[in-house]
Amino acid sequence: MKKTLSFLLLSLLLLSSACTETVSDAKQETVQPRIYPDYVGVTIPVNIAPLCFGMADETAQLVDAVITDCHGHNLHSQGEESVDFDLEDWHTLLGQNRGDSLSVTVSAKYDDGWHTYSPFSIYVSPDSIDYGICYRLIAPGYEVWSKMGIYERDLSSFDERALIENTQFEGCVNCHSFNRGNPADMSLHIRGPHGATLLRQNDSPLIAYDTKTDQTLGLCVYPYWHPTGRYIAYSTNTTRQLFHSADRNRIEVFDEASDLQVYDVEKNELLLSPLVKQDSIYETFPVFSADGCSIYFCAARALPEGNHDLDSIRYNLCRIDFDPATGNFGDCIETIIDAEAQHKSVSFPRPSYDGRFLCYTLSDYGQFSIWHHEADLYLLDLATGESRPMTGANSDDTESFHNWSTSSHWLVFSSRRDDGLFTRPYFCHVDGKGVVSKAFMLPQRNPRRFYRDRFLSFNVPEFIIRPTRFNGQKASRIINDEYRKNMGVRLNTSEGDFGSSQ
Amino acid sequence: MKHLHLLCTLLFGVAVLLFFGLAYPHHLHYQEEYQLFLFDSTYVWEIVRLPGGVADLLGRFCTQFFLFAWVGALIIALLLSAVQLLTLRLASSWTSQTAEPSGEWFYGLSFVPSFLLWLFLLDENALLGGVWGVLLTQFAIWGCLQIPKGWKRYIAIFFAIVILYWMALGGSHYYRIPTTFPTMLYAAWLSAVIIPLLMLLVMRSKKRENAQQKHYSLTSHLIPLTSYILMSLIMGSLVWKNANFKAEKVMQYDFMACHQQWNRILETVNAEKPNNQIGVTVQNLALAMHGMLADHLFDYNQNGIAGLLPDVKEDATSPMPTAEAFYQLGMVYVAQRTVFEAQEAILDFQKSGRCYKRLAQTNLINGNYEVARKYLMALQKTLFYRDWANKTLTLLGNEEAIAKHPEYGRLRKSVYDNNFFFSDHVTPEMLEDLFFSNTDNRLAFEYLKAYYMLTGDREGYAKLLLHTSNKQ
Repeated sequence: MKKTLSFLLLSLLLLSSACTETVSDAKQETVQPRIYPDYVGVTIPVNIAPLCFGMADETAQLVDAVITDCHGHNLHSQGEESVDFDLEDWHTLLGQNRGDSLSVTVSAKYDDGWHTYSPFSIYVSPDSIDYGICYRLIAPGYEVWSKMGIYERDLSSFDERALIENTQFEGCVNCHSFNRGNPADMSLHIRGPHGATLLRQNDSPLIAYDTKTDQTLGLCVYPYWHPTGRYIAYSTNTTRQLFHSADRNRIEVFDEASDLQVYDVEKNELLLSPLVKQDSIYETFPVFSADGCSIYFCAARALPEGNHDLDSIRYNLCRIDFDPATGNFGDCIETIIDAEAQHKSVSFPRPSYDGRFLCYTLSDYGQFSIWHHEADLYLLDLATGESRPMTGANSDDTESFHNWSTSSHWLVFSSRRDDGLFTRPYFCHVDGKGVVSKAFMLPQRNPRRFYRDRFLSFNVPEFIIRPTRFNGQKASRIINDEYRKNMGVRLNTSEGDFGSSQ
Repeated sequence: MKHLHLLCTLLFGVAVLLFFGLAYPHHLHYQEEYQLFLFDSTYVWEIVRLPGGVADLLGRFCTQFFLFAWVGALIIALLLSAVQLLTLRLASSWTSQTAEPSGEWFYGLSFVPSFLLWLFLLDENALLGGVWGVLLTQFAIWGCLQIPKGWKRYIAIFFAIVILYWMALGGSHYYRIPTTFPTMLYAAWLSAVIIPLLMLLVMRSKKRENAQQKHYSLTSHLIPLTSYILMSLIMGSLVWKNANFKAEKVMQYDFMACHQQWNRILETVNAEKPNNQIGVTVQNLALAMHGMLADHLFDYNQNGIAGLLPDVKEDATSPMPTAEAFYQLGMVYVAQRTVFEAQEAILDFQKSGRCYKRLAQTNLINGNYEVARKYLMALQKTLFYRDWANKTLTLLGNEEAIAKHPEYGRLRKSVYDNNFFFSDHVTPEMLEDLFFSNTDNRLAFEYLKAYYMLTGDREGYAKLLLHTSNKQ
């Protein structure tokens, strides 16, 4: 029996090695290879899935890669479209080289034979990344949606799982949010005839809420959890869309009115303050600071009614105090970044969980930077107040929505750099000094085939520290049920001035 | 007797062929336009891994041939004939007396499942996978009956049920609207199993009666023939009554616009003036393409400005002719958005070869070559769009070739120079901007003039005439 097994294993081994062609008589190139995705010189977490890649020019018949480390270990893979490293071997190699560099030698076979390129490095950061990411997959459209859903992806493998898809009910899903990546606290919006906000706190059963009240503009939008899990900051927006006739940006999503509000999960109350509920100001994208004692948000002067000079709407980054003990807002608003003065506009502020930095998107105008090709990521040092572009992460195309890992050293963000339309998740490392590494694309087993065949954008990527354990069947039953829990309202009556600075 | 059956089946098949080929061809085109069959392992796997996936896949595979209506009609005729033959065969297999049931009054009943499927297919939301589901079920039953009675047959039945569930029974993608129960399909499905059983029961009682007086005469031919004729008359009239010829006409206009058959459109509207929104939109586009819109506007039925560029609705079909007009006018961004949204509105979440093609074209014209490439590479995996995709791929990035291209070159010159915001509603300012930024855009001139005429805007009309006379 043992002999038979050994024979079978040996045969399999021989068969698999027979499928691999030896790189011979290769022409030595002095340049580094052009590969897709571009993983040349990137910094990766020790627990990331294998960085499989192919040649960028697509005319290569075979691509061959050998990864070596300074201890003499190596990993080899060869493929027609892409190299595909063994998952277990890859993780072993990365584990052995935590904090060290790997050297990758790429050879490609063309009509005229093999070419071997100058090796490039991949730096294995000692900072590991969270378990996975959660995102919405949706066609990059306008008002109508086809099949879409919320999905989670294990970052150390290639496994993707649907949490919920809109085939399970009539409507669409958006704005999934977790408390610092912990899916025990989760918020998810459903739009359409079965509209609701689903909330889960401390892994308790989901509850469907009607978040519209007679004292607020409309539904709760753009959630962000308080570190304690007791509060969720939301904006409420009256949103419209207009289209460009001849601009690189195709669409403009803008607010005609917007306010901020905080939901007290324990007391089932929406906390309001006139300071962040001003008719003359559009307030949006609220996020709690790392200590939970303030709220950062974006604010712009409202356009007069009927005025559609959308390119004159510019959002500043602002801050207001928040008392977690009482749920009271502070009495003044600070302008942290006066983007209006630079003829720019801030969107999607995200403070790192260690309180060191705040990452935001800067575009020419408006708040829906996801459709702005000029949009880039910026990093604000909260200790010094200095702000600078995240050059390693940015590209010539859109960089927009982003989130921090729980270690505050990894950032996931959406970028349209691949083709100008479909957003893909990218990751970059940010060290304690704010040095940003070159970004790398979410690994796939055969990245070219995967991203080419997927006609969907990765929307709102969020880190998760473990599988969400979200029961889509149960959730769809709750969504299809008519019951909705209503929210109470508590008005904070403190007053102050908008625009006062530090 | 056997020849008579074959003749009846053949006659039925020819009737189906002629119906779909002559009276219902644009329903077949419609089906083809709202799916995209890819010769791609991932695509196939995503379908077959689901319950009912095999029937669905076979349906989609066949539907790609509906691009050619007569081929589609032939496929349907063959499938429906096969269902009838299998119904008859099942009854024979159950009685173990070949062709015995066919010599009775109820021979005509063997056509019921096929007629019900025909009725099902009259609905534009009916999918061919449903017909395959019925056929696969019949095949499975027939296969089980070939096994001699005993434990082997029971084991075969058990496995057949499991396999059939995966192949056909568990399916839900037989109708384009997921929330609608396709009653006609399930009636056909049920009848395909029940009718052979019914025939069996009647046969058994007849067999006892006729045990002593078994004789064959001319009536043994006449009886099944009469039952066939009766069934054909009843079910045939039901088919004709339930056929949606109004929708067929609308689909014809859409098809002609899609294939830019401007002469055929004018011939059609001259023969019978359209009285529906899509017909009027297509008619006006064809008139404009011939430079006749403004001069002959009121010679044809009009529907106010809604007949020129109607507001786009959130469905998959009605926006398409308007999108064609946007495209031909040079409002390429608007066309792109309209087509994208129409594709997203396809009720069963499928993609569309027609939409992919147009999205590749609009992205090519706008210079978004990587997005165009993405659509073209998907079309390379199709049977009938592959050649076009290969040809178009060579244009990407080739500015000179695009400029010389008769369609893309013209449209690149016609697109907007000035950027402005617009909403869902087309305004006169949009047409004015289009024309005055490129006064060689003859189509924009035709539409703008027609717009002024339909709205009674004398000032705008005079301004336009003054401009053209100054130019001359």
